[in-house]
Amino acid sequence: MLNQIVAALKKRSDLAGWTVRHVQTSGAQVYAVPQGIESQRAVDGERYLIDVLRNTSTAEGAPAVGSGDASLLPGENIDHAIDQATLVAGLVANPVHGLPGPAPLPDVPLCDENLQKDASSVMLAVMEGIRTTAAKHPNVRLTAAECFGELHNTHLVNSRGIDAEQESTQIDIEFVLHSQKGDRESETFDAMTRRRAADLDLEVAIEDRVRYTLDSLEAEAPASWQGPVILRNDALTIFMAGDNLNGSVIQTLASAESKYAGFSPWEVGKPVFHGEVKGDPLNVWANRCLPYGSASNRFDAEGLPAQRIELIRDNEFVAFAASQRYADYLQMPATGAFGNIELPAGKTPASALLVEPHVEIVQFSWFNPDTITGDFATEIRFGYLVQNGVRKPFKGGQLVGNYMDALANVHWSAESGFFGAYFGPHTARFDELKIAGEGE
Amino acid sequence: MTELKLPFAMAELRPALGEIVRMGLQHAPYFSTLLSSRHGLTILVDNREERVTERPPAAGTVLSAFDGATTFERALGGFNREEIRTAARDFIKGISFQKYTPQAEPERRGDFVTSVQIDPLELSVQEKLDRCREVQGRVKGRDPRIVNARVLYRELNEHAVFADASADLAQRVQRVGMFVFVIVAGPAGDVRYDVLVKSGSAGWEVLTWSDEEIQNVVDGALALLSAERIEPGEYRIITAPGVSGTICHESFGHGVETDMFLKERARAAHFIDKVVGSPLVNIADDPSQPGSYGSYFFDDEGHMAAPTQIVENGVFRRGITDRYSAAALEIPRSANGRRQDYSRKAYARMSNTFFGPGTSTLEEMIAQVDHGIFLDKWSSGMEDPQGWGIQVTCHYGHEIKGGKITDRVFAPVGISGYVPDVLQSINAVSNELKMDGGTCGKGHKEQVPVASGGPHLLLTARLG
Repeated sequence: MLNQIVAALKKRSDLAGWTVRHVQTSGAQVYAVPQGIESQRAVDGERYLIDVLRNTSTAEGAPAVGSGDASLLPGENIDHAIDQATLVAGLVANPVHGLPGPAPLPDVPLCDENLQKDASSVMLAVMEGIRTTAAKHPNVRLTAAECFGELHNTHLVNSRGIDAEQESTQIDIEFVLHSQKGDRESETFDAMTRRRAADLDLEVAIEDRVRYTLDSLEAEAPASWQGPVILRNDALTIFMAGDNLNGSVIQTLASAESKYAGFSPWEVGKPVFHGEVKGDPLNVWANRCLPYGSASNRFDAEGLPAQRIELIRDNEFVAFAASQRYADYLQMPATGAFGNIELPAGKTPASALLVEPHVEIVQFSWFNPDTITGDFATEIRFGYLVQNGVRKPFKGGQLVGNYMDALANVHWSAESGFFGAYFGPHTARFDELKIAGEGE
Repeated sequence: MTELKLPFAMAELRPALGEIVRMGLQHAPYFSTLLSSRHGLTILVDNREERVTERPPAAGTVLSAFDGATTFERALGGFNREEIRTAARDFIKGISFQKYTPQAEPERRGDFVTSVQIDPLELSVQEKLDRCREVQGRVKGRDPRIVNARVLYRELNEHAVFADASADLAQRVQRVGMFVFVIVAGPAGDVRYDVLVKSGSAGWEVLTWSDEEIQNVVDGALALLSAERIEPGEYRIITAPGVSGTICHESFGHGVETDMFLKERARAAHFIDKVVGSPLVNIADDPSQPGSYGSYFFDDEGHMAAPTQIVENGVFRRGITDRYSAAALEIPRSANGRRQDYSRKAYARMSNTFFGPGTSTLEEMIAQVDHGIFLDKWSSGMEDPQGWGIQVTCHYGHEIKGGKITDRVFAPVGISGYVPDVLQSINAVSNELKMDGGTCGKGHKEQVPVASGGPHLLLTARLG
């Protein structure tokens, strides 16, 4: 059907350009409750996504371009879908922009070979791994777990000659550990997205969560705090890379789309910070080439090849992440979709960053800063106050502040780690953050 | 009269579902089929560009078999009759089901359609685009500090057909929403914005804007240029209906989804028929509420929509269920078994969740506050059903001083606390009910359209 769509698009003389993607997904899902396997699902999907460009003109008669899109299930009417997309494209008059042309595609590893062969078996094995590992810890119970494994195939063809295919796998897992001591209950929740089962590191993840679950039984509400705050591993990943609901501050402010819309005040060659930088200099890449990165790919939805884009060098903004459309609008290089966040290793050993006193935040309820202003006021699900050789667990309180202000005063560990959508120092010490707790 | 307008492939497949269900029931104690199509349209108009795009469509078939212990599902994209018949036959063949007698259900038959006055499916894209342009044109030139004015229209067209041994149901649920964003820049280049949203299970008739409403968004954005961070601490607060709804949603909404009871993740499970809030607190979930954004006629497991009284005069009565948790916990079902789309399982999910109205007026409530905060607008929330912590982030709030709202603005403002403490502290509830539409996740995924709302509430909580 892809060939039929391409043939139909090639016949259209009213189009300035077109892209068609054939997307196929298949996967397995396993859900567990304390009583056993709650649900097992096998899921397939297939569709064709058509994007068209059409030459239009502004009210003043200046050349412009309109875009439209349509999607098709197998067997649906191709000409009708193209007509719909073309009609819509004729309604709008945006600045002239085009489509990317062919370019070499990097070889980015994206697949779990076992998942490609049999997603159901891999997901059942991952679930069994979670259950078995959790069962080694008699003081906690696994009360819920979900394991999704998906295989994605994309074949993209466009009017400028791109004809590219990519295959990727994705694994999403969640698990909840529960503990009880007298009438006190506690739970911890973990969610991970990876390309390969081998990158889940379940033993370590579950060991960590067991410790947090048990410590959480002793946790009290925190007092207010102003001073060093440590983020490590998953908490630091959420801080740097955001999540699929909220995105991240850096991703928003470094996007050409945000710049074009007036959301981003960042300018190439200018500092990203307003005031003095007291911590380590900030260096950031947007990297779609990261092997097995959860936001990696060989090419994006427009067909632009994966790149590793230097966004920020020594606190100075270097380049926007730009789709072809916004690159053309702003006359800058097209880099394609954002990808994963990468930071270079810092200079300080992680152990040296953990000097007392400090607060370590292990888990946020949801770190969701305003991605435009960077302001945040976010509840802390679990953390430790570390002083006088004691790690005192707490839960509650809010971390309040501004994202860019926080990054202006941070020290990064010399040791790095890979966390799905983030590759960089695994420990960060923010020297001056505020926690709104209950009293002084 | 609005029409059902089932997509052709769904309409063609529907007559075959009875046979597929009968085939499934030869092996499985319970078997159902769901045809689900969710597609829509997004229109963006701002100072610099216009975009008209399809919302990512999801259309497919779910074959479900249940034996009281495990739900087995085969989900296929599209509605190809032969593929679905083959899949139904193949997937149940390899399963050894336990013996199970499903709960008897009444006969449910019928076609249901959201009542709309101006049907989005009857308007052309050109007409919708022109209406968005008209609204945007009324916003953009109101102040020189506006760097962009953005109108975002979202239309979601949901069709579902459900069949099991006692059901043959179809519905079309029409949802629309429009966001007006005003983005302003201060003298130092700092960027702030405000947004106003209108939405509903309705047609374009709910997307009208008065000049006063538009000016309020502009004023809100400009006021944020001089907003302060609030001094963390405990405050007397009055919550606007959207903020009240978010508190409700995150506390006795997520906290009473009974799949969380089954997973031992909800503290509320230990509080049935116990006091959890002040006697002024009434909370309900009602997918049958006409016009609200989270409404539907039957859920994704074929249960007919009806209201559920969750908290009654401060006492927790019952939770909201999906099929699995209701069966496992042996409790009555409610119509809350919802899926993000055909590719995801059904969970117990909210629909329209709200605090019931009280008897006070807003003016009376403000007059009671000597020093406090009026929380105007919510921006996000997150649940904690086990710990009963609460996180609601407000885009901004105004100072209340001497019984009057002042021009002093704080942003953003986070509300935190222990759910029963927050609900116990409610000592006045206003006499109106307003709903805000939005999207709700289960944790960080499984997005479904919902509405939350209520009246204004006067309470005490920690802000930061």
